[in-house]
Amino acid sequence: MTVYLLAPTSLRVAPDDFPARVRARFASELRRAGRFAQLCLLGAQACLDAAGGDGALGVLWASEFGALYAARAALDEDLRRGEAAMPFTFIATQPHLAGALLAQRSHPVTRTACLYLPADAWPSLPRLAQRWLAECERVLVGCVEESGSGGVAHRSDWCLFRKKPAAGALRCERSLEAESAADATTEDWIPRVAAWHRPAPLLLRGGEDAWSFASDG
Amino acid sequence: MTGTFVRAAALASALGPDLDSAVERLAGAPVAPARNTKTGGAWPYFAIPISGGDWRERAEAIARSVAGDLRREAAIEPARWAELPCIVGSSSFSVGAWDEGGWAALEPSFEFASRLARAFGVRGPVTALSTTCTSGLSALDVALGLIAEGEFREVLVLGAEFCNRLTVAGFAGLELLSATAARPCDRERDGLVLGEALAAVLVSAAPSPWRIAALATGMDAASVTGPAADGAAIASAMRAAMGGARWESAAVDLIKLQSGGGRLADSAEANAVRELFAPVPGAVSLKGALGHTLGASGPAELALLLASLARGRVPATWGFAERDGELGLAPSGGDAQGVRRVLFNLSGFGGSVMSLALERAL
Repeated sequence: MTVYLLAPTSLRVAPDDFPARVRARFASELRRAGRFAQLCLLGAQACLDAAGGDGALGVLWASEFGALYAARAALDEDLRRGEAAMPFTFIATQPHLAGALLAQRSHPVTRTACLYLPADAWPSLPRLAQRWLAECERVLVGCVEESGSGGVAHRSDWCLFRKKPAAGALRCERSLEAESAADATTEDWIPRVAAWHRPAPLLLRGGEDAWSFASDG
Repeated sequence: MTGTFVRAAALASALGPDLDSAVERLAGAPVAPARNTKTGGAWPYFAIPISGGDWRERAEAIARSVAGDLRREAAIEPARWAELPCIVGSSSFSVGAWDEGGWAALEPSFEFASRLARAFGVRGPVTALSTTCTSGLSALDVALGLIAEGEFREVLVLGAEFCNRLTVAGFAGLELLSATAARPCDRERDGLVLGEALAAVLVSAAPSPWRIAALATGMDAASVTGPAADGAAIASAMRAAMGGARWESAAVDLIKLQSGGGRLADSAEANAVRELFAPVPGAVSLKGALGHTLGASGPAELALLLASLARGRVPATWGFAERDGELGLAPSGGDAQGVRRVLFNLSGFGGSVMSLALERAL
């Protein structure tokens, strides 16, 4: 089944700059959402802004560590003292909440899931998006990772899959040519798709599974 | 008959280390959960009666025990078993390891899911996902897709939730817990009681007694921690499940409620049920007996319900004693003869709402 990919968006934000970026995009709306959810929303919203369109939206994202730092805060600050966790600290430990926050911003979200994936398992995302497109008009797919240190940027990469062709969209299909495909990872497959501007298809592989991304013109 | 079927299921829960003991105990008098000192001791908690080793060793021991039960029931040849893909749903994965071992004991969620898969003796692809309390049914949803596309004929689905202080402290902080007992749909209900479970469901393209007729998902974004009071998103998911199964509402014989004893959440689900059904069919909640097992609750309650029905009983709803006039629901157990179509509800934090349509196939 062919699907179409729009607006591959690669966001890298230095940890020190992150609060200002969130404030600039969402004012104070996300003050209590937790950093992982904020990071998801910042990238997802940028992708949706670039892609446009409407219709039922699935939201599917992957992470290796999820809301690691919210969990760390809850464990270190509350549980070590033997106290109940602060509500917003606890809620922020659940990475899945980012989907609801997107729905609360007037996007017609009908289903969401957060996957924990190893680096080479990124093809699970377009495959699952393909399935979801049986019920959704669009599926927003992301790879999100909080930085563990000041010198490394936060990552929030997103793209939008659609059933139907659209101006500027790439045709995406599973490829049988896994051997000739380049190895890609959860961290770099969306940035590589975003940077691809040649007429020939881009063939990327993760594990045994390969995908072809080609211009639709 | 074509589609996807529940070939086998197994469960370790507070009701017992295996499904047989759980069904037997559920048929008897209700037993109150103990206060669990491992989670701070302040709240009742439904713990699996298996002990030994550190947190991770205990989780693996529970997994091996459930795996043995599932393999016996599934009766799949070893080579086919080893190739099974495994989809793991959980809201907390290995966060409980922190309780004893600190940061060094924590591992990424995918690695913990792979650890569980290895304990089951399967080497196919592993997927780990979280949609909070609906995680286990979301895992089932992924499995249904793999079978429908013909990639696999059988898929192992795990719902895993193991004892941890973070979850209990979080629900306590949100003031969602009862200090005494879970009383689903009861007039005196005052909150949830949490629990742990490991449930395994083997779904297959080969016909078995229960067919999965449809699984519908929805989003209720009214709040990240609870449903909208009118239950509209829950009603919409139930309607979509019945539509997918091509049932009229009158065809539903039994509703497995999400209801866990929360005042608002039970009320929202009751509003949804009353919107779709008149009269309301038989209903049951299992959270008074299992506790709310969060990401494991889908597979855990599915395993327990189908095993009870196979033994001819709709289980009683532990904790329900007095009808709440505003809810208009009175879950009750009884003879399972005539129960051919079941609507199975689940919802969770983050607005995730799911409804599963099950029908007898054999």
